[in-house]
Amino acid sequence: MNRQRNRRTGSRVKTRRLLQAVQQRGQLHPFFFRLGPVALSICSVLLISLMAILYLSQLGQAVTVNQQLQDLRSQQSALQRQNNDLVNTISSEQSPAYIAAQAGAQGLIPVSPQNVQIIVVPNVKTQQNGDGSGSP
Amino acid sequence: MNPALQRARNRQMVIFLLVCSGMLLLLGRLYYWQVLQAHSGHNLAQLANDEHTQSIILDAPRGIIYDNQGHILATNVVRDDVYIEPHLFSIDHTGDNQNGLDSLTQSIHKALPQVSLASLQTGFGKDLWAIRVAVRIDPEQSLLLRSLRLPYVFLAPRTWRVYPAGSLAAQILGYVTQSDGANQGAYGLEGLENQLLTGRPGAATIETDLQGNPLTVGVNNQQKPVDGADLSLTIDSNVEYMVETYLMKAVKDLQAQSGAVVVLNARTGAVVAMAGYPTFDPNKYGDYYNSTGCLHTQQVYFNPALYCAYEPGSTMKAVTMAAALDQGLITPDTALQDDGCIAYSDAPAVCNWQHTPYGTETMTQVLIHSANVGASYVAHDILGMDRYYPYLVRFGFGQKVGIDGPEEAGFYRVPCGRGWSSCDKDWTMSDLTRQAFGQSIVATPLQVAQAYQAIANGGVMMRPYLVAAVNDDGHTTVTQPTTKRRVISLQAAQLLTEMLTQAAHYGTGQLAQVPGYSIAAKTGTATTQGISEDQTEASVAGFIPASNPQFVVLVKLDRPRVNIYGSTAAAPLWGQIAQMLMWYYAVPPDLQS
Repeated sequence: MNRQRNRRTGSRVKTRRLLQAVQQRGQLHPFFFRLGPVALSICSVLLISLMAILYLSQLGQAVTVNQQLQDLRSQQSALQRQNNDLVNTISSEQSPAYIAAQAGAQGLIPVSPQNVQIIVVPNVKTQQNGDGSGSP
Repeated sequence: MNPALQRARNRQMVIFLLVCSGMLLLLGRLYYWQVLQAHSGHNLAQLANDEHTQSIILDAPRGIIYDNQGHILATNVVRDDVYIEPHLFSIDHTGDNQNGLDSLTQSIHKALPQVSLASLQTGFGKDLWAIRVAVRIDPEQSLLLRSLRLPYVFLAPRTWRVYPAGSLAAQILGYVTQSDGANQGAYGLEGLENQLLTGRPGAATIETDLQGNPLTVGVNNQQKPVDGADLSLTIDSNVEYMVETYLMKAVKDLQAQSGAVVVLNARTGAVVAMAGYPTFDPNKYGDYYNSTGCLHTQQVYFNPALYCAYEPGSTMKAVTMAAALDQGLITPDTALQDDGCIAYSDAPAVCNWQHTPYGTETMTQVLIHSANVGASYVAHDILGMDRYYPYLVRFGFGQKVGIDGPEEAGFYRVPCGRGWSSCDKDWTMSDLTRQAFGQSIVATPLQVAQAYQAIANGGVMMRPYLVAAVNDDGHTTVTQPTTKRRVISLQAAQLLTEMLTQAAHYGTGQLAQVPGYSIAAKTGTATTQGISEDQTEASVAGFIPASNPQFVVLVKLDRPRVNIYGSTAAAPLWGQIAQMLMWYYAVPPDLQS
């Protein structure tokens, strides 16, 4: 009887130890304290979510900066275009033909060579432009 | 085994099998793409890269052309072309789409009135990805279309060459054509210096997002474009404008077919102005395709100062005299008997205009009377071919100047058997006797002006130049005036200047006189064999002030009808231009009365 009881008690102890081993295998020790599977899963999900949020925020910032850069490039292109147009307009309005037309529209007429008088100042020597540059 | 343990092991097995299946699936897919598809001709890596990378050409802006005061003569602007996308429209509107199409075409037509509704309807009816419906639209229209954000419509910017001063110096500048998006200079400096002005386009490989926008991250390879070189010319816009205006008025008033003017700096050879009429507006060069200049023999795009060669007529007498003076064979006072015609045993007789006899006349009087007999006598009896033709070479006749393009070299016959590099077996002594007074020789206006520049500059010919400076990628190269060669001695040049001054004062150049200034000039009235004698090319070549030459001016009018002579048709225009130059550059008068 005792032997049979002892055998039964022994197998119970063995089973309990096995179950304890299985249960202990599920109870991992990632840190200095014990975590159950549910808690570990929740922690993992939270950690992954945190990392995802960090990554997405970085990505979002990069996309925003990229967009801003694109906008700036577009603005630069538009400003260059406007600058070219303004240079063209200014050059056009500085051209002799435009000035002559505007002067004519305001009633001015070209000077006639007949109206020019050469005044000779005695005893004044003319300064010869020796370099031949022909500039004023 | 304990049932709980058994369940745990089963779960593990299921998970293991699932992972194994997944791995097998992945391996299979990997094998499919990496092995099977890799050998089926697809460059998968390239296709993958093409999804998110773009190779783009970075255009190099064409160089700007300035005048000598820094005013822009040629620059670039960006204008949009408008495209529609009929294929996309048809994909998105498979059923009855007439209402949507009407609404869209009306919106486009409202923004672009120059594009008709019918053409838009026709365009959207075609099965094409994109059709260009408008080219080079106004900036206001671009803004409007951008703000409307119309579907199936997009704008493509394109760079265009513009000339803010319109037709000013058009024949010097030329124009730029566009072919497959590439600019190509044609005629003038745009053509001659096309490579310099074009620069080098760059290239870039960039990563893009789904919309094709470049990403700041990722691999970006960029080879920067090198902008086209900027050119600063020697011409002054104001002088050029006035010269062109005077020339146009003279051509119209005298009912001439065409005309040309060249103004050179007498000391440096720099081109101060170079005008032709008729001319064109390079902004609308296509409108002038059927217009002709230079006696209606060439398209109006050619620069007549370089490409409209003519028989210079009596202006060549100065060259004949220069050759004889330089060799000490004559002096201004050397005399001959001028009976109106001179007979030769080896050439036909040469006669003065209307066979006018001048009796005993000096060489100075030959120029004053513009006597053909005297010039022919000098060439035939005093110089001879061996002492005459080397001077034509020295003065640059028959040789291209090379400052602008395209250009004609001119032509004259040279006898064979004299050891010269080129000759013409049809040459006769008649060529020599006529070349002496500007017939049987063809020269461009610039060549004649260049010859007079040598006389004005004490016998030293400077190399004419049009580009004063080149700014290439930050490096500026300034053109220095260069001596071409000494053509005649200083003494010969001074004697000839005095003879030309007398000729202008007492002879045919009286209408070219400028109050307060001495001028040295010679008129020319050239006729062409085989056509009526009233079909002339009237010209004047000379320099001012004669005592200290600053500018060389050549004026040529083709077939004037109101006045046909150089002395009456071209001389007043020469005087007008010379006077303007003196005022504009504030050159002090050199005459006391």
